[in-house]
Amino acid sequence: MTALPRLILIATFAALFAAPPARADRPACEVPAELSQVEFRLPRLAEKLKARQPVKIVAIGGNSTIGTAAGSPELAYPHRLQVALSEAFPGVPITVVNKGVPRQAARQMLERFKSDVIAEDPALVIWETGITDAVRGVGLDEFAAAIQDGTEELKSRSIDTLLVDMQFSRKTAELIDFDKYLSTLHRLGEINDLYVFPRYEMMRYWSEQNMFNFDEVAANERAELAARVYDCIGRKLADAIRLAAQ
Amino acid sequence: MPEPQPNRDLRLDFFRGLALFLIFIDHIPENILSYFTLQGVTFFDAAEVFIFISGFTAALVYGRRLAAKGAIYMTAQVWRRAWQLYVAHIFLFVLFIAEVSYTVMTFRNPMYNEEMRVADFLDEPHVAIVKALLLQFQPTFLDILPVYIVMLLIFPAVLLGLARRPAWVLVASVLVYLGVQVTGVSVPAYPQGHVWFFNPLAWQLLFVAGAALGLHYSQGRQFSEGLMRRVLPVAAVVFAVCLVIKVTWTIHGVWESFPGLLLRAFWPVNKNNLAPLRLISFFAAVVLAAELIPANARFLAGRIARPLLACGRQSLEIFCLSILLSALGHFVLSEYNSGLAMQVLVNTVGIAAMCLTAWMIDWYKNMDRLPMLQPALADRRRDAAAE
Repeated sequence: MTALPRLILIATFAALFAAPPARADRPACEVPAELSQVEFRLPRLAEKLKARQPVKIVAIGGNSTIGTAAGSPELAYPHRLQVALSEAFPGVPITVVNKGVPRQAARQMLERFKSDVIAEDPALVIWETGITDAVRGVGLDEFAAAIQDGTEELKSRSIDTLLVDMQFSRKTAELIDFDKYLSTLHRLGEINDLYVFPRYEMMRYWSEQNMFNFDEVAANERAELAARVYDCIGRKLADAIRLAAQ
Repeated sequence: MPEPQPNRDLRLDFFRGLALFLIFIDHIPENILSYFTLQGVTFFDAAEVFIFISGFTAALVYGRRLAAKGAIYMTAQVWRRAWQLYVAHIFLFVLFIAEVSYTVMTFRNPMYNEEMRVADFLDEPHVAIVKALLLQFQPTFLDILPVYIVMLLIFPAVLLGLARRPAWVLVASVLVYLGVQVTGVSVPAYPQGHVWFFNPLAWQLLFVAGAALGLHYSQGRQFSEGLMRRVLPVAAVVFAVCLVIKVTWTIHGVWESFPGLLLRAFWPVNKNNLAPLRLISFFAAVVLAAELIPANARFLAGRIARPLLACGRQSLEIFCLSILLSALGHFVLSEYNSGLAMQVLVNTVGIAAMCLTAWMIDWYKNMDRLPMLQPALADRRRDAAAE
């Protein structure tokens, strides 16, 4: 073998194995454009931001709102959202209150609205729901009715509302039929003119692009991975809220 | 379901076979084909077709047994059928446990603690198994057989009632159904807080109505032509209106800019308790199908109908197989990829497997039914053939 082909061969191998995967250069939270479209308004929040008044946001939800998997409340998506929003609106004091309670169906979350949401007098409520309903196989119209009641309650108090759908992993998608609950949640959003943050599709995209591998992570890397995912969710939510509150 | 009768109404097999195909397709989440099944165009879906036809054929078959051999024999036969369904259900349940425990044991990611609650029953197998044996534990896909089993358990009483005082039975059935619609009462299941997905108190109406019509039909009676002439246009209008509304919903689900007619007023349509909208549009469809498709329609004898008829004849086996196949299809699509080509492949392979199995069972049952030749006669024939 002459020198040149050998060189090319070595160079190719070096490029293949040594170079970091091309995707690592891209921002880790990237999603396709259609997942970042926001055609909804958050009027009350927009007003407060414009007037530079302190803003309180309540994030009510389940385990993934608490963010236990990441190891600390600062790494959960509500806090990451607070950090990202504070950067986007310097000078406006923004707090995101975490009201996650594990293993609750939408109806059970609704039952704590009075103490956990209304009592906080927020400008915006982020309602992360649907996982437990899908796991338990709650009837679709019962699920829909709970969310309908909740969003109407918030609307009557002119609190802005935004829904967050389920989280994705291939393994859980094999066991649980999320499809019906996802479409119910999105249709509810549309009927009530509410934004539904497409967490499921975003996480699916990240999973398919191998940006985060949710399935095969070593035990000691899991908390770190969870923290990175929650950080992306927080940032993406902040982007959406920024667009909706313009 | 029971063995073919000489003058079997092929329409029943055809529509039940069709329902089985659709159940398979609808049970695969995110399946593109499911936009084109009944659930994409009508308020009801294959479940109504399946339960109704099952009631209808049960009355045909067991009504004959009742007339020929008496109530006790008929009861024994119906309950034997229920037992077969029960065994099939437990078999499917074991497969479900295998899938869940395998996935959960190989995937322990704290990010998905909430999702993994789906395997909570593994913490108390002694309770879960007993609850499954009592039909109270009904994971996804394993919720329709329990209803069917309960229907068969009460069927002897229903049939005896229908044979003597049909009006009383129907009134009782309607009252129970209306009770569910008004009070929302449901049947509790396991784990705590769950209910039977198909509320048997509501769905019994379809089964009983099917049985009443089946018995009426088997006794050679018919509705007067005048009545049918008045009912048909009403049914056509109801069906057409429901069809248009539902189709706009389905299109709206894909393209948001397309308006979903009356979406805010009617959606969601309750399946667990068999919402009146589902029931009414289904009965409209039954009237249309019964009136517009004659029993000797040509397509029923055609080649395309053959696999559907075979699946409809062997509906218990094919139903269980379809549940298994859709779980497998779901697994393949979420594990590998859910692209269009893969979806088409999964649907095709699944339906082909169902047809092939139905055809094999048909063949086996026919062989079984052939009279056996006397050994001596068979020997002589073989000798004759050898010469």
